[in-house]
Amino acid sequence: MDIFTRNLGRRTVLGSAAAAAAGAMIYPARGTFAASETPVRIGMIDPLTGTYAALGSSEVLGAKVALNEVNKAGGILGRPVELLVEDSAADPGTAVQKARKLVNSEKVNFLMGAVSSAEALSLSQAAEELKTFYLDTGGHTDLVTGTQCRWTTFRTCSTTWMLTAGNFQTLFDKFGKDWYFITPDYAFGHSLEQDYSEQLRKAGGKVLGNALAPLGTTDFSSYLIQARAAKPSVLIILTAGDDLVNSLKQATQFGLDKEMAISGALQELEVLQALPPAARLGWWTFEWWWDQPNQPHVADFVTAYKAASGGKVPSARSWFGFASLHAIALAANKAKTLDTMSMVKAMEGLELPPEVALQPNNPFYRAADHQLIANEFPGYVISNGTYPNLFHVADIVPESKIGKSAAEAGCKMTYPS
Amino acid sequence: MSVETETRERTRAGSSLPAWSGERLRFAIFAAVLLLAPVWLPLIGSYTDLGTRVLVYALAAMGLNLLLGFTGGLSFGHAAYFGLGAYGTGLMLRYVGPNMWLAVAAGVLLGGFAATLVGPVVMRRRGIYFAMITIAIGQMFYFIAVRWNNFTGGEDGLTGFQREPLALPGGSVTLTGPHFYYFVLFFFAVGVFLLWRVLNSPLGHAMVGARENSRRLEFLGIRVERLTWISFAISGFVTALAGSMNALLNNFTSPLDLYWQLSGYFVIICVLGGMRNFWGPFVGAAIYVIMQDYASTMTKNWLSVIGVMFMLVVLFFPRGLLGVLARRRSG
Repeated sequence: MDIFTRNLGRRTVLGSAAAAAAGAMIYPARGTFAASETPVRIGMIDPLTGTYAALGSSEVLGAKVALNEVNKAGGILGRPVELLVEDSAADPGTAVQKARKLVNSEKVNFLMGAVSSAEALSLSQAAEELKTFYLDTGGHTDLVTGTQCRWTTFRTCSTTWMLTAGNFQTLFDKFGKDWYFITPDYAFGHSLEQDYSEQLRKAGGKVLGNALAPLGTTDFSSYLIQARAAKPSVLIILTAGDDLVNSLKQATQFGLDKEMAISGALQELEVLQALPPAARLGWWTFEWWWDQPNQPHVADFVTAYKAASGGKVPSARSWFGFASLHAIALAANKAKTLDTMSMVKAMEGLELPPEVALQPNNPFYRAADHQLIANEFPGYVISNGTYPNLFHVADIVPESKIGKSAAEAGCKMTYPS
Repeated sequence: MSVETETRERTRAGSSLPAWSGERLRFAIFAAVLLLAPVWLPLIGSYTDLGTRVLVYALAAMGLNLLLGFTGGLSFGHAAYFGLGAYGTGLMLRYVGPNMWLAVAAGVLLGGFAATLVGPVVMRRRGIYFAMITIAIGQMFYFIAVRWNNFTGGEDGLTGFQREPLALPGGSVTLTGPHFYYFVLFFFAVGVFLLWRVLNSPLGHAMVGARENSRRLEFLGIRVERLTWISFAISGFVTALAGSMNALLNNFTSPLDLYWQLSGYFVIICVLGGMRNFWGPFVGAAIYVIMQDYASTMTKNWLSVIGVMFMLVVLFFPRGLLGVLARRRSG
């Protein structure tokens, strides 16, 4: 019994010491608020390990930059804001566990995050069950604001349909009509492939084949051999994160880029940075680009982000985290309460101000399906470029022109009575 | 020491036999701690779902431990039966109907019968080959779940089901917070009681005998292979029950619940707590789940912490944490 109590005592001491250390990391921006104010807590669930670690970390860093700004500007309802970050490892099961922990134990007021579509879908379901506001930062599948849309879920990144529609015509005109896909075998890949195929068939093209690669594949050789045998005019690679790095590297090592064009939908700065120059090729779509000389406030964000990241330039993921946290603060201050239903209503139709939007055409969260309507940045990779000048934005396409309407996307929003 | 007294000693902590005076008292304290968990967990700044998760992982690991610790079969594929239990329950709720009893039964039967059917294939193997074949069969179920997209949801996992109100004779109960904890605790008790009865029966003694000296048992006319099969099947049923509870806990299941990595975690849990001890896996599960919950918030390298603990335990306490405590007490 003696040993038991002593152990417990020591554990408590260790635990509180660790908690204090963790606390010091989480709340750097306090001090401008009265000590008596209870903070508003935002729980962020993102992959910090695994295939999507680089993307998840950018989202978190972007959110932290926004957190700093929000707290400097008076927080939410005059209360300081805290960001609690949890690692999902891009596993939907872990993401759900963390969401429960954040809501039940840490009593967070809002949830945000996700890189993989699968975790976005599972988080969306869990959040509705927990009656907690959830903002999907980076899970792209159409379903999240389409047939599986939920009253508690909003989304900052674009739908897979928008990603494909952003550059389909360019790819079709440039590279021809025989397409072969390498698709990650989960929600994100499936809906990208379907969206491209639908447009390709309409335009009179042909899908020569589709190789499904599991998430986290490191060896793409068997899929690349299949692609070579099919002799397409263009190989469309739909993987993301480290999987995209590996597939592009291996495709160029196989010399496929000499036999066919290689392109795809979503491309990201993190990926281009990780690629050897030989594998930097193709036409893709970005969802946000750091270099917009004619757009006010963008340079300020780049400077703030560089200071926070030790010289890294913000990627689209950084902007997702940044804009999402700002959007939550804006909506909560507009709702004047933290109650979920009022928050949802305040968020519906919310237009991002220029210093948050950092792009043209006044992005806003569409009320009917809770999807942010922003812009796509299609263009091509500068093959001999140096970081961060790795991509040339050919065009800025407003998503209001290419996106599906909420009804077309299949969203029927139902609210609790 | 005869096999029979050995089994009794190993399972003593869970037995109601008055092997020595403090036995009943300690079991009563343990039961009270579990029964009151929804009361004391929030007081120490934790939450009820964490307790529920400890029960789920403990049940899965104790199920595995019947095979691993008491029969001597190192299975690296038990996540398959855990996951099948989860999918059985989830699919039943999603496609058939909102009956919790039926859903749990579906999960247990799916996982349990899968283990029973697989048994004859694995029971002839020993040692490393046993581990290899269990891992291969487990991965087979994993790939079925990943590839059968329109039925299982593929890699995205199975969504679209949730805990339904539980139909009881006196009316129906909604399963949230503490209610769900007691729901899981009930099935935990059922599973543990089953394991305890098996281990204290002649069958259980024969299993321990098979672990200690299988050739001698064969000379005595006992079919060791069949014994392994029975152990594998029972262990599969119990692990499937835990999987079913896990699906209900998360209202979600994904192919990672069938993945070999989870099987590895179950083995680690058994070894951490002490696989020769009836309650060893429970202690291991508590450590694992709490580490996962707290350490993963502080560092993304929390698995290294578990890894270091695992190495230390294997090097210095091969009988696991509870094994060390039990030995110190008796010696």
